[in-house]
Amino acid sequence: MSEKSRSMQMPVNRRGFLMIAAGAGCGAALLRGGQHAWANEAHAESPHRWAMVIDVGRCEGCGYCTLACRAHNDVPPWISWNQVVTCEEMGEETHFIPRPCMHCEHAPCVEVCPVKASYRRPDGIVMMDYDRCIGCRYCQVACPYLARAFNWEAFTGPNPAVPTWGQPEVPRRPRGVVEKCSFCYQRIDRGLARGLKPGVDQEATPACVVACPVGARVFGDLNDPQSQVSRLLRERPHCRLRDDLGTEPRVYYLQPGPPEG
Amino acid sequence: MKRAKRLTAFQIWLMILGAIVAAGAAAGGIVFARGLVVTNLTDLVPWGLWITIDLSSIALSAGAFTLSAAVYLLDLRQYRPVARTAVFIGLIGYSMAVCTLLLDIGRPDRFWHALVFWNPHSVLWEVTMCVALYFSVLVLETLPILGEADFLRGRWPRLAEKMRAMHRHAPILAVVGLGLSLLHQSSLGATYGVLKAKPIWFRPGLSVLFILSAMAGGPALTLLASMIAGRVSKWAVVDDRLVDPLARFVGWVLVGYLYFRMWDALAMTYTYLPGRNEGLRLLTRGPLAINFWLGEILLGALLPAVVLLRGSLRRKPLLRMLALALVVGGVVAYRWDTNLVGQMVLLSYLPHQIAPRYTMYFPSLVEMVAGAGVIAYGLMAFSLGVRYLKVVDHGRAGEAHLARVPAPASGD
Repeated sequence: MSEKSRSMQMPVNRRGFLMIAAGAGCGAALLRGGQHAWANEAHAESPHRWAMVIDVGRCEGCGYCTLACRAHNDVPPWISWNQVVTCEEMGEETHFIPRPCMHCEHAPCVEVCPVKASYRRPDGIVMMDYDRCIGCRYCQVACPYLARAFNWEAFTGPNPAVPTWGQPEVPRRPRGVVEKCSFCYQRIDRGLARGLKPGVDQEATPACVVACPVGARVFGDLNDPQSQVSRLLRERPHCRLRDDLGTEPRVYYLQPGPPEG
Repeated sequence: MKRAKRLTAFQIWLMILGAIVAAGAAAGGIVFARGLVVTNLTDLVPWGLWITIDLSSIALSAGAFTLSAAVYLLDLRQYRPVARTAVFIGLIGYSMAVCTLLLDIGRPDRFWHALVFWNPHSVLWEVTMCVALYFSVLVLETLPILGEADFLRGRWPRLAEKMRAMHRHAPILAVVGLGLSLLHQSSLGATYGVLKAKPIWFRPGLSVLFILSAMAGGPALTLLASMIAGRVSKWAVVDDRLVDPLARFVGWVLVGYLYFRMWDALAMTYTYLPGRNEGLRLLTRGPLAINFWLGEILLGALLPAVVLLRGSLRRKPLLRMLALALVVGGVVAYRWDTNLVGQMVLLSYLPHQIAPRYTMYFPSLVEMVAGAGVIAYGLMAFSLGVRYLKVVDHGRAGEAHLARVPAPASGD
């Protein structure tokens, strides 16, 4: 606790100093020091830490998640916020890895965005401000997970995934901005406002989790030790994609089959 | 008789450039109307030809800050006429970069967002701010050149006098310009260098290499443009006593650049990072190999370094011009390769899948025509500058300056 409060106080002094330093032309380099303090500050504000757990052994690659995502987020057919990737064959079994946005704790896209159109919410959701994005595509180049798609052209006309897979809950993105998975923040926020529990109540849970017919996806709050995600991560061996990069993804993958030595 | 003939050649030259600019503008219209879907850019290679033109025109504008610093900070006053040319080329170069950027970003109507919504952690934000500020510096530095135009002096003599008076602030502008340029010229390399997801880019050396290559390419373009203008235009006066030592300077910068590139290449070769080795292979043996070995290294740096440092070779004007042109081409080749190689290697994010895949990019016709339009605009602006603003005038500009400094003779 004491450590947390110290890290919250530090930027106040430093910020004042930085104003002068930035004017001298070396601000950009020094300001980096303030960032993690801000992240901690933001971190402390939210009672939730949303995460997704995907059971690779259960996924059959049906792609329902992608379609539900397209409907609920009004994503054009040529973009997949949530792509189901077929892994290289391992023995007789084919494995699928559904790949939403990883909602990294240290998100490269957030760091590189020149206008803060990509930003991280206190609860860990990496968001896009579509009114602010200038379409420079630096975030696309920076994302190790290919989780971002650019609107090369406007999406007009009906969405083929609607109404079969659901109804749009967010406005369509204009031409010229980058878009990506948002953990269905609209469902989480509206659900919380109605007293529902994301991950438990379907209406407050990301559409891909609800649509999965085999229960391969679990969503929940890492801050709640009783949540299903916390329990699964305690009990089952798991990994994250490109953990070596230090991006600290909030999407975990349960390893398929019995764990081998 | 001879004069009429020359004017005609100039007019034909302008008409050709005008046609390319018009075609480029039409292509730009298509881009704005239909969106970036008309390009060959993809979600895997979202940065292509236009980014290369951006990076190249900014790098090749580096003569402005290098020569201004030499003149006003190192007090090498005799080079002031060359710095004058460099500043004018710099203004054109940065305006070319702005034009290309407006084409390239998905929402050109929001270009000003970076100036308002700051993200100090983003290298690209820092580049944007520096470019915007430095563009203002270049405008101020160019005001005296514009103030010397006969047209302005005839119509609005007092305004012209005010613009020429900006000259007094040249030393301060040179300091500010040097700081801003050192920042963003290197940061353009860091734009790639900070991306951990692309091992072929992820290294601190890129920023050093970007600024060194810019400090070779920028002055090289200024000298090349001056020499060409001196040969084909009677409006340009070139003094070889100024060009020759600066060409030698370019040669030495190339040596420094090659030194850092060698260690950079060795360090990359022996780090065996997945994705980095594949990128190196694309450069040295793959589809970029010819561009890399010939464009970047042999013709782009080694050969011109030899020519520019060896007096007997450098003093041959045609050979010197060829060497300078090769330096300019080498910088462009380096920017093209650097931008492309990191995007061509698709490193998998899946566990157990180490082998990367590859992708390719070749610009679409619209991209090429729009890019050609921007380049033609640059050539046209420079040609008009040579003709009407006498931006390449190693004789008169020097004298005018000497006359002005001791006592402002012409009424102020």
